[in-house]
Amino acid sequence: MNVLLLISILLYFAAMAVQFAASAGKKAGLHRIAHGILFAGLTAHTAMMVWRGIAAGRLPLANQFEFASGFAWAVAVIGIVLRARLKQEAVLTAALPAAFLILSYAAFQPREIRELMPALRSSWFGLHIGSAVLSYASFAISAGLAVTYLLRLRKGASPEDGTMVRLDYVGYRLICFGFLMLTVVIFSGAIWAEQAWSSWWSWDPKETWALITWIFYAIYLHQRLRMKWRGKRMAILAVIAIILVLFTFAGVNWLLPGLHSYATAG
Amino acid sequence: MKKVFLFLRSMRFGMILLCLIMILSLAGSLIPQGEEAMTYVRAYGAGAASWIIRLGIDDLFHSWYFLLIMGLLCGNLLLCSILRFPKTLRTMEGLKRQAKEAEWDHPLAPGQAEKIRDRLSAMHFRRDGNLYTAHGIGAYGSFLVHLSILLILLFGSLTLMTPKIQDLTVLPGDSLTLADGTEVTCLSFRIENEKGELDYTSLLRAISPGGDREKEQEVRVNEPLRFGQYKIYQQTYGTAGRVLIQNEGNGAEETLYLTEPAFLSIDSRNGVYFQTLYPGYIQEEDGSYTLITSTAMGYADPVYSVQSISEGSSASVLAFPGETIRIGEISFIFLEPEEYPGLRIKTLSPFLYGGLYFGFGLIVAALYLCFFHTPVCVRVEEEGVVIRASKEVPELRAQLDESGQGEFSI
Repeated sequence: MNVLLLISILLYFAAMAVQFAASAGKKAGLHRIAHGILFAGLTAHTAMMVWRGIAAGRLPLANQFEFASGFAWAVAVIGIVLRARLKQEAVLTAALPAAFLILSYAAFQPREIRELMPALRSSWFGLHIGSAVLSYASFAISAGLAVTYLLRLRKGASPEDGTMVRLDYVGYRLICFGFLMLTVVIFSGAIWAEQAWSSWWSWDPKETWALITWIFYAIYLHQRLRMKWRGKRMAILAVIAIILVLFTFAGVNWLLPGLHSYATAG
Repeated sequence: MKKVFLFLRSMRFGMILLCLIMILSLAGSLIPQGEEAMTYVRAYGAGAASWIIRLGIDDLFHSWYFLLIMGLLCGNLLLCSILRFPKTLRTMEGLKRQAKEAEWDHPLAPGQAEKIRDRLSAMHFRRDGNLYTAHGIGAYGSFLVHLSILLILLFGSLTLMTPKIQDLTVLPGDSLTLADGTEVTCLSFRIENEKGELDYTSLLRAISPGGDREKEQEVRVNEPLRFGQYKIYQQTYGTAGRVLIQNEGNGAEETLYLTEPAFLSIDSRNGVYFQTLYPGYIQEEDGSYTLITSTAMGYADPVYSVQSISEGSSASVLAFPGETIRIGEISFIFLEPEEYPGLRIKTLSPFLYGGLYFGFGLIVAALYLCFFHTPVCVRVEEEGVVIRASKEVPELRAQLDESGQGEFSI
């Protein structure tokens, strides 16, 4: 498994480097090479997750390592799917650094497979954690697109330019999807918590930070849909939002122990 | 007055409230909640601690100002939802009117209009003359999102604040009688399942006061027992000593659970005084015992600390499982300890859970409508096309844009 993890990280890194070079040089051939490397990395990554799932006898999303690995996997998959649908290389250029960095973070987490604690043995496990993975992955790519947008703006690109409008719009749509998934995370978690701990809301740090993140994205969406904010301001909000997401994902586990503290355990 | 009302129902006010909730939640997650005053003094110093307590930051999520903000948010949501509803109902009419009145978004070449009409029909757009409409139901998405948040806040507060919660322990074989006469019997309790995994499972039987309804169920974490207004959760567990008492005089015998100090006697003078059950012990080289009080390793080598009392004299002894202490005709046989469950019994109307869970389901469905069912009206004539939607729809434009060849274009 360790070998597959290492191969996945290296291939994601290589795909990212080639993709950057291709974007800088605007060379379609290099993009195709980056896609090939990414597919190889995703195959190795998928194999690692399947192997781990079989070895653990459950969905491999139960601790910080597994969740981070699932998060990186979802970033790569969403990136590939969106690239195929929208034919926008910018999506992959934004997704690849996120996939590489998150999987690298996973590599530093304890990796031993442990018995699932009783509180996690629930039919809500798949929906709650699976939607969290999809939500975080969408937000991560959206933040990557926002960074791309801001960098291009700094280089002198016009906000009215078609590519810039597309970057802005795709980032917004990813946030719509991520927000829907985050809502599923919060409310499936609430029902699960009511069954496990007798209260659907306890102001546990993880719950509280998920709510903070949800409110922040709600503000983002209101600003876009009602106040018609576009471009730079939306990109800045998306970048701030990903900091909240990352703190909810990793920071809370390490700094604010609570009912979700098992997430840090190997 | 009108200005105040307009502000209270405005989105700007809603955003201010959301920001305040976010900031307070952040503070509440960083500053420990519900701790003793000394904890805050140690962590932040006496001056800051006194402000934390004075401002109620030590119980921030129940403070009057947090509850007030939540109440104001409910008011804001209610006002803006109710007042916007008539406009929501007219969304599609408004789009049709705009489409009719607008200049062409995309002028068409001869013959192109028919292709676009075919494409719209294939996409299940509803035709009304030159107007094609779709996703009218999406207009209600935003309204339903706000309504569901209101439902969640209302039923959520009731489910958090109104239930009666009791934490009780029950020994295997014993029963609890609840306030309305419902009887809950613990038939058995186990910590591990057949595979050796930690499981913490109680087999419970609940019988309604009249005895007309009965339910038996294994209760474990994630699987509470629902019985009428009660929900019974597997909460904790404890370990109880057990002693088999045999009376050789009349042949009677009884097994008792020992959870607290107790004097076991028939005549109130002679017998065994149970002090405590130790989880383990270490036997020293000189034969003495060092008793372990920590339960971190479970009850690996349990030992009973008792006093035998007979005819006015007493002696402290350690009794190991399987050992017998005889006092006159009575034998006290100490058995292996047994685990027993701690149950949480929550009394709450199922109607409130129903309201809350309906709110959860509604918000997910409403967000889906809001984001992925944008109401749209397309006017197609030979000269050109007009697209009007309540939100951006570049995907639709791309799908209708033949030159785009399926690519994402605006």
